Amino acid sequence: MVAVIPRTTALILWEAEHAGAETAAHREGLTVYWNAPTREDDVERQISLIQRVVAAGARGLVLAPDQALALMVPVRNVVARGIPTVVISSPLPIPPGGKLTYILNDEEATGRLAADRIGQILSGKGTVAVLGVDPDVSGIVERTHAFEASLGSLYPGIRIVEERAAGFNIAEAQDIAEDVLARNPHLDVFLALNSATTRGAYLALQHRGLLKKVKLVACEQELVPPLLTGEIDSIVVENTYEMGRLAVERVAMQMRGESGPPLVKLSPTLVTRENLNTPQVARMLSMDWRGDGRSGQ
Amino acid sequence: MKQSWRWPTAVIVLLVLGGATWLWIYERSPNSGLPYKDSFQIGSSEEWTAYGGTWRVARGAMRNESDERGAKLMTGSPWWRDYTVTTDVELLGQQGDAGVILRGSDEEQGVDSYTGYYVGLRSNDGFLIVGLADHGWLQLAGTPVPGGVLPFHWYRLRATVRGCRVSAVAVDSATGVTTSISVDEQSNCFARGRVGIRSHSSGGAWKNLSVTRIDAADLSPITERPGVEHLARIPYAIDEPVVNGPEGRSPGADGAVHGGQLRSTPAETIASLKLDRRSARTTVLRGTVVLTSPRLYVQDTTGGAEVIGHALPDLKLGDEVEVEGEVDLRAYSLTLRNAHVRLLWARAPLPPVSVTASQAATGVYDAMFIEVDGVLEHRSSAPDGSMQLDFTATGQSFRAIVNPGRNRASLRNLASQSKLRLLGVCVVDPGFTVNLYPFVLLVSSADDIEVLSGPPWWSARSLALLAFGLIIVFLLGLLLYIRVDHWRLQAVLDERERIAHEMHDSLAQSFVGIGFQLQAIGNGVVRDLPEVNRQLELATELVRHSHEEARRSLMTLRREFLQSEPLHIALEQFARHMVEHGAVDVQIDLSGEENGLSLALKDALFRIGQEAIANAIRHGSPTLISIRTEYSAAVVSMSIQDNGVGFEPASPVRGFGLQGMRKRAEGIAATLEVISSSGAGTLVLVTAPLPSHVPLARLARYIRFFRLRGSRDEQGNKRKNQYSYR
Repeated sequence: MVAVIPRTTALILWEAEHAGAETAAHREGLTVYWNAPTREDDVERQISLIQRVVAAGARGLVLAPDQALALMVPVRNVVARGIPTVVISSPLPIPPGGKLTYILNDEEATGRLAADRIGQILSGKGTVAVLGVDPDVSGIVERTHAFEASLGSLYPGIRIVEERAAGFNIAEAQDIAEDVLARNPHLDVFLALNSATTRGAYLALQHRGLLKKVKLVACEQELVPPLLTGEIDSIVVENTYEMGRLAVERVAMQMRGESGPPLVKLSPTLVTRENLNTPQVARMLSMDWRGDGRSGQ
Repeated sequence: MKQSWRWPTAVIVLLVLGGATWLWIYERSPNSGLPYKDSFQIGSSEEWTAYGGTWRVARGAMRNESDERGAKLMTGSPWWRDYTVTTDVELLGQQGDAGVILRGSDEEQGVDSYTGYYVGLRSNDGFLIVGLADHGWLQLAGTPVPGGVLPFHWYRLRATVRGCRVSAVAVDSATGVTTSISVDEQSNCFARGRVGIRSHSSGGAWKNLSVTRIDAADLSPITERPGVEHLARIPYAIDEPVVNGPEGRSPGADGAVHGGQLRSTPAETIASLKLDRRSARTTVLRGTVVLTSPRLYVQDTTGGAEVIGHALPDLKLGDEVEVEGEVDLRAYSLTLRNAHVRLLWARAPLPPVSVTASQAATGVYDAMFIEVDGVLEHRSSAPDGSMQLDFTATGQSFRAIVNPGRNRASLRNLASQSKLRLLGVCVVDPGFTVNLYPFVLLVSSADDIEVLSGPPWWSARSLALLAFGLIIVFLLGLLLYIRVDHWRLQAVLDERERIAHEMHDSLAQSFVGIGFQLQAIGNGVVRDLPEVNRQLELATELVRHSHEEARRSLMTLRREFLQSEPLHIALEQFARHMVEHGAVDVQIDLSGEENGLSLALKDALFRIGQEAIANAIRHGSPTLISIRTEYSAAVVSMSIQDNGVGFEPASPVRGFGLQGMRKRAEGIAATLEVISSSGAGTLVLVTAPLPSHVPLARLARYIRFFRLRGSRDEQGNKRKNQYSYR
């Protein structure tokens, strides 16, 4: 049994990982234990889940950490027990090597893609507000820095008017987004850095009737139907399907005594209405978690 | 005889096996426990198990007052197959769903961490949905509810599962509008499982829940109903908002709870209100709900406050609220009276502040959600159904009041003196403390109580049990000792008897043979050899005497001798044999009856008496030997007294015989006294406890032994003519 513990479950972002993990597990003859906290900031629950699956005899662990510092010791303990461990999406402050592997989203590429898209939308001139800055999640920090650097160098005519933290609470994110809208009546674009702020920003725009006026560029897959209607401009999608698949494959390799690169970075994809229906994107945006192994059953 | 046991035994075994088999089959029966009806009306919900959420029974309904995604409460048999679940259901918030789980199993805390079917009402898009979870969610079908799915609005939901068909009917309790849906799952559908209630993001309330066995009439009206929209599997998240849906409601459309239109009111902090000390003014504060029952408490980063108002909205733990009310300041407490509460948004419940009981007793944490440890002292039920638990902790005492509702059985099982960790709102209001405790902890539910450790092993009950166990072990040990001692004595007696038989067959027969040979020699010797004849007669007499001695010894060695004769008779016979043809008179005196005298005791007393009589005759030259035995309820006393020459205590007369008597007296926990003086005869007095009193006698003996050791020097000189052996 390989324990796959994302930051939370029942979101497109993580159910795609579920599908990837199930696909690889089916091929490798493994079973997947899938569970996570009900909130993305419930660090305590994620730690207790890790301890429980290890005690239950998990032969491998795939983890998307809720918080970098708090998960460091639990993950180190798992690795010390000789259990192949793959950290996905966002890194921990532990160097890879031995039984510990990282399969991460290329956050710099995410920032660059978002900056490019916003630069194209605004033709190099306008205002943007960034929602969801979170110093606790190192991937988001890296994403933010890359966005700022890329926008500053490529599109100096675009000004960042606000950078706000919003946590993982949708209603709070909506509240903050409305506050930003109230303070910046001429705002052109929202950049939402995670799924909760994407939803919060969308609801705020919907509530104020600004969906047509203020563009929403999102990070992390969420709210696919508004993308179809154009109410969301684009989403920079993490390839969590591939992360789940590669992670379980890496665990299987370690169990066989084989080794692979200790750090892999997967490129994100900018999803718009135009490429939404391509097979690769559809797979990353599907809630069908059964993967290639089980969906055909 | 054996035959007569066989049939009853066989029948009993068959009955037991049959009963066990019937129970095993019944528990696995798909109808075991059906029909089921909830007991929420009477505040009971022991049979339900929570997986996440904040559950309590209130106003006749089970409520999950958290917006945790996928919180569920399960009950029923894992062997239930085809059944209908009927319940009234209400969503307690926007942007979520609430419903029932069918054929559930393998449940864990987590959004979709179970296997089974789910039928729910979803407020995001106003749909009645059916789906399955296998530790991941797949929506099977959905159909819009006319008018949408409204929060704080009751719907009658009936969900049925039979074979691989799942169907549901939702009836708007206000309008009577009915929505139905039905899905045929694949052939490898979930076959059996429990029922549950579940909410996702919105919280929920359920009442009048029943589960009934299915019959043919349950499905046909639904499946034949025209106009049911069966959707294909929907690829997106369950709480995905619907865009431009014809009948669905837009998120936040009614603006009841979310949205920035409610914010921007200047708010004060609770700490600033307490410092300001101005009562009877109106203020606004923002905080998080930490308790809803029995009273409403909110907390911000600086403190907590009680909220009293009219028409307070239904709130969940963790809800962020804005409260406007009149400030009422007491010594430690802040209360907002005539308050109006507006829900801003839902949050996860606040984590508690961990404090000691002494810190909580300072009043600083009044109206705040805290975590505190205590040792349970007493438990009682209040008239309103709440449970009152009294605690001590580091020199403090406090009371916890636990809301009535779910999981009361766990409260009843709490053992006194257990160390518990409690989560609750700390209040110092005298209305709760009645000035008996520095603070009272208001605990939302039994789920907020964790047992850290059971009662210590040295509790009064444990010590009593330990003492009882030790007594039992001591008595068993004593019984074993007595039994072993008895076996040892039996072995000694058997050996003696064997020796007696050996001596009879060898030594005694030899004496007889020697006697005959001497007589034959005497008959052949001429009469004129008087010296030879005299020596022959002397030899013959010696042989006869030795034969008599041997015979007497053999007699006393035999067990039958003691078994057949009372002690005083055996001693008399022995004494008379000893003094036969002599001028010593033997007197016997008996008091009481020889009952309860064990063979071991009798043997030991006889040997002591035998030695005392022999000593008197050999060394005392008495004319009278008095043998007295006296039986009472607890002891037997035996005295051998002679009127011989006696002996000086200082003289070295305490030889092997006296040591033997002492050893035998010790063996039966008896006291032995030898009283003598020169020219005044000798008295040997033995007092032995009867077998049932031996343990007490031994204990008394040890106590005396240790007491005497301390004063041995003082008392040793006082005893001039008396020796006691105990």
